Amino acid sequence: MPDRKSQIRNRKSTIAVLYAPGINCHEETAFAIDHAGGRGEVVALFDLLEGRRCLEDYAGLVIPGGFSYGDHLAAGRVLAVHLIARLSEALRAFVAAGRPVLGICNGDQVLMETGLLPNGTVGERAGALTQNRSARFESRWVRLRVQETGSFWTEGLEGSLLRVPVAHGEGRVVHTADARVTPAFLYVDADGEPTEAYPDNPAGSPGGVAGVVDPSGLVLGMMPHPERALLPAHGSTDGLALFRNLVCYGD
Amino acid sequence: MSIHTLYVNRADDPEAAALRRRLRAGGHSRLKGLTIERVYRLEGEVDPQALWPLFVNPVFETGGAASALESADGPIIEIGYQRAVTDPETPSILDGACALGVVNLEWARLGHRYQFRGIAATEARRIAEEELYNPVVQEIIPPDRVWDSLRPTGTPEPVRRISLARLDDAGLSRASEENSWYAPLCQMQTLRDYERERGRPFTDAEVEIVVQSWSDHCYHTTWKSLGLFKKLMDATRQVNHPRVVSVFKDNAGGMLLTDDWVVTIKGETHNFPSAIATFGGVATKHGGVIRDTLGFGKGGFPIGGSTLMGTMDPRLPEEDVPPGALHPGHIVRESVRATAYYCNPMGIPMMYPVYRAHPGYPKCLALGHSLGLIPREHALKDPPQPGDAVLLLGGRTGRDGLHGATASSAGMTGETARKEAAAVQIGHPIIERKFMEAIPRLRDAGCLRALTDLGAGGISCAAGEMGERTGVALDLDRVPLKDQSLSAWEILLSESQERMLAAIPPERLDEAREILRRHDVEATIIGHFTDTRRYQAAWRGEPVVDLEMSFLWGCCPIEVAEIRAPTRNEVVGWLGSWVVPGSRRTRANHLTTQLPNHPTTQLALARQVLAHYHCCDQSPAGFQFDSTVQGRTVIGPYGGKTGRMPTHAFVAAPIRGERVGVASTVAYNPFYGDVDPAGLARLALVEAVSRAVAVGADPEAITLCDNFYTPKATPEVNWALAQMVETIADLSVRLGMPFISGKDSSSGTFRSSDGRTVDVPPTFVVATMARVPDVARVVTKELKRPGNRLVLLGRLDPERLGGSVYLDLQGERGTLLHDFGQEWAAGLKQTWARLHALTQQEENPVRAAAAIGEGGLFARLFEMAYGGGLGARVDLDALGPGPLEGRLFAEAVGTFLVEVEAAADPEALFAGLEYRVIGEVTAEPALEIGGERVALAELEAVWEAPFREVAGA
Repeated sequence: MPDRKSQIRNRKSTIAVLYAPGINCHEETAFAIDHAGGRGEVVALFDLLEGRRCLEDYAGLVIPGGFSYGDHLAAGRVLAVHLIARLSEALRAFVAAGRPVLGICNGDQVLMETGLLPNGTVGERAGALTQNRSARFESRWVRLRVQETGSFWTEGLEGSLLRVPVAHGEGRVVHTADARVTPAFLYVDADGEPTEAYPDNPAGSPGGVAGVVDPSGLVLGMMPHPERALLPAHGSTDGLALFRNLVCYGD
Repeated sequence: MSIHTLYVNRADDPEAAALRRRLRAGGHSRLKGLTIERVYRLEGEVDPQALWPLFVNPVFETGGAASALESADGPIIEIGYQRAVTDPETPSILDGACALGVVNLEWARLGHRYQFRGIAATEARRIAEEELYNPVVQEIIPPDRVWDSLRPTGTPEPVRRISLARLDDAGLSRASEENSWYAPLCQMQTLRDYERERGRPFTDAEVEIVVQSWSDHCYHTTWKSLGLFKKLMDATRQVNHPRVVSVFKDNAGGMLLTDDWVVTIKGETHNFPSAIATFGGVATKHGGVIRDTLGFGKGGFPIGGSTLMGTMDPRLPEEDVPPGALHPGHIVRESVRATAYYCNPMGIPMMYPVYRAHPGYPKCLALGHSLGLIPREHALKDPPQPGDAVLLLGGRTGRDGLHGATASSAGMTGETARKEAAAVQIGHPIIERKFMEAIPRLRDAGCLRALTDLGAGGISCAAGEMGERTGVALDLDRVPLKDQSLSAWEILLSESQERMLAAIPPERLDEAREILRRHDVEATIIGHFTDTRRYQAAWRGEPVVDLEMSFLWGCCPIEVAEIRAPTRNEVVGWLGSWVVPGSRRTRANHLTTQLPNHPTTQLALARQVLAHYHCCDQSPAGFQFDSTVQGRTVIGPYGGKTGRMPTHAFVAAPIRGERVGVASTVAYNPFYGDVDPAGLARLALVEAVSRAVAVGADPEAITLCDNFYTPKATPEVNWALAQMVETIADLSVRLGMPFISGKDSSSGTFRSSDGRTVDVPPTFVVATMARVPDVARVVTKELKRPGNRLVLLGRLDPERLGGSVYLDLQGERGTLLHDFGQEWAAGLKQTWARLHALTQQEENPVRAAAAIGEGGLFARLFEMAYGGGLGARVDLDALGPGPLEGRLFAEAVGTFLVEVEAAADPEALFAGLEYRVIGEVTAEPALEIGGERVALAELEAVWEAPFREVAGA
């Protein structure tokens, strides 16, 4: 058995994948990190809240998809309240220490509800992901165009097209007038042009925005699921590059 | 105690807009506007401002202590949960408040206020009653209600003593009916005799337990009396398949996928609740069948789900719907909404959403499957031991679902629809998702001796089954309630969803509770297993149940079932179910009116075939269900270039990092049974297997799951059932493919309130669960390259149009199915083996493959071309002689349309098999058949329209 010190040392290069009640994509997201050459560990919210795990022991944080706390009250709301009420200092310190945070789907909704996106201000909200224009859950493959963000997340991918699935009921970005929204991915149509039209933009998200980074470039939130376009058997491996960028960050 | 009220409004609310569209489409054309306001009521010494982050995101929501709705703008109706009931959101609100440091929040309730513009208060009220709430647990909150406290309150009824000892047969029947027990006379007589022997009256709880346990739904009395179970189990035993690990006994069936992993399958219908209250019925259909996977062995993990809905034609004019039945359009739309509501939060990929129509389905078919994964070492349960704790985990117990098992075993009338609305459960997927995560942890930590789900009959059936060989003693006061007015029998019988019962050895209890706590799963010890072989329960200090297990499980009288072969009536099918108003009725297999045997005419008909409900694009429903969650999906329900081509198969790679796959397919055709029940059974089996083999499943590793839905037992119905079961039992032996799981429902009879009876058609659904050696070698259906050859592999008999979509369009069924009897098995096995061998070659010459079925060759040709964004040229002469409509539209189940590399020699590939080269792949997206051309875009438009209209999308 390795001692506690070496366990923590190991975690320093480990990326935490958050599990909270209702999250349902943690397994495949941790697997995606492993597959990209890193080490992903599913970390339960209760273990963070009760002190059995510490955020600062991890090299990165991913909040995966699902329906945390049943998406009661609003998508991602209750989990976000837990994070801002009880882990806001740890979260601020985590980003201040230059460690990356990724929110996928419900994780994106959670990051918006914490305020980490789009402005990078924990506890002050400037955006939200609201119900799709269709008022339906949309499970489809979409095309994304990667934007120039200056962030490591999109490094080497700028301008490229990604084919990945979406699966959500609330993916329409709204934000305050003074929010600092830096799009990382736009939904595009068959001609590769950004679109607001259904179903190429399944949420009806304004400007085609499918994902954003915060002003520091460390925090990325996206509605599409890169962990579901990882292996040749998935029909697309376009999501792998994002996890490679995450794993290689800081090397 | 102070109560605060907070009103929250959303800036722009697609949900309200969608509801308005739905209501307008449903006949409320004067409805001009609709607003939904959320109202939170909070009890305790709290500052509502401190809870702001929980209730209001100022980016898109506004909140205040006063309503933003002006009563002058239109009638306002508030819907909330009843006083005795806990809101599903309450735990989340209390939890969030606690996180925010607001510790004095005692209770919370959430209401929805609907404001309608343009209509009168009476119409608004009607909308609310018909569309907006479930009267079992919710109510319209009067605007002047004074809240003294928000906490659930209510007083239970005391225990009732019931004496049957002095009743004659008429009295027994009356007692059964008055109490909604739905028990046949012979069971009532057995109960009476038992009381006479014991010398004391029953309690209400005792009678309820017995009639639930003996209901057709739980005990399968119809099947047992016909000896059908034994037939299927004998066949499976005879197949003796080396991969089978668990058959029929457990909650699902299991097959070895690798040395270490077992995959499981179960299919379950939930017809009655779905027919009377579709949203709740369909949601809990999914919840229930998923729990069957969770309750397999010592706890499986669900990796796939399905939904199959059989209704009357959803476009039926209102006046053609039998009085007392819900409109089929409403059933389909509500079922889609319910499947999305339940399955998406569960995080289980949708394998196949299937919608079918038949005039015999006022009482609809609502079927769901669940595929699971479990380590081999945990695939078998241990028997509970005396002293083991009975641990109830998951949701709280409420009034929902009382009498579900007995009511669903009975026939449905316009009357039961109202009387038994309480039989419909309410589903909350978040609760089930939490224990779906916890159960594998409990299992791997060795905490579980055995585990089962609470479904029909609730605690009463689950505890009785688990404790059959030991005995069980329950303390009902410990059961956590969400409705404080439940009496003892209601606690036992409640079919509240999202609950499981576990047998935990005493020394593992602490660890089990800690695992459950960390997963936020409520768990309570409600009793223990004993060595008394008695079923005992106490409530409020007095014994309310004391029954011998030997009576409960050994004394259910089974009446001998009579079997009589009916004469087939060409007009109404075998069982009187097929009545199409105004249709031409004929004995002929072909149409009375002979249509010109010319490609131009046939292409016009082809458009109708693609627009038929069974062949049309059903993705407007399917795209609402997550099919890629878990990251295991290789082939989902839709594929091809546009992502909309139906694949008719599901393939996943269940073990992360490994290339071994599992395929699952289904065959469900409501027409074939009108022509011949035995033929239906054969074709369903052959079609499901062909679909699996087409994508690359190993024919040597295919297991089967059966689901039957038949009318209430009569000698004729029994004959149809026996025909179906005997056919598949024998066929499964011939093919070496065992049935490992199944379920039957013998309650498909609807009596409309004007006295007419409508029986469902003999309904038989087969699902496969099969091993795919390597997911890198799956064969997808879309055409791949111009110049490649199209080969029809298998038989095509153009004279056999019986039960086809093509004949249905003419209002006919015909007499000859595309069916070749039991001897057919040998040839099918050869074809399947060859096709599979080719797909496993290093360079697979088969580039695309599809199994022929509904819509015939033509439907597959269209789908494959559409999926590939390519076209096809077909030589009619190569299809052989016979009527043209038969060549294009005969539903040649067991036959494949395959695309073969241009360079490959078909004779070298298919020598010894029946095959014909029928054409080639072309670059231009059009079909060219016998010199006639039609653009795919034109066909696409016809194909995609019908379901959009049905779904209101």
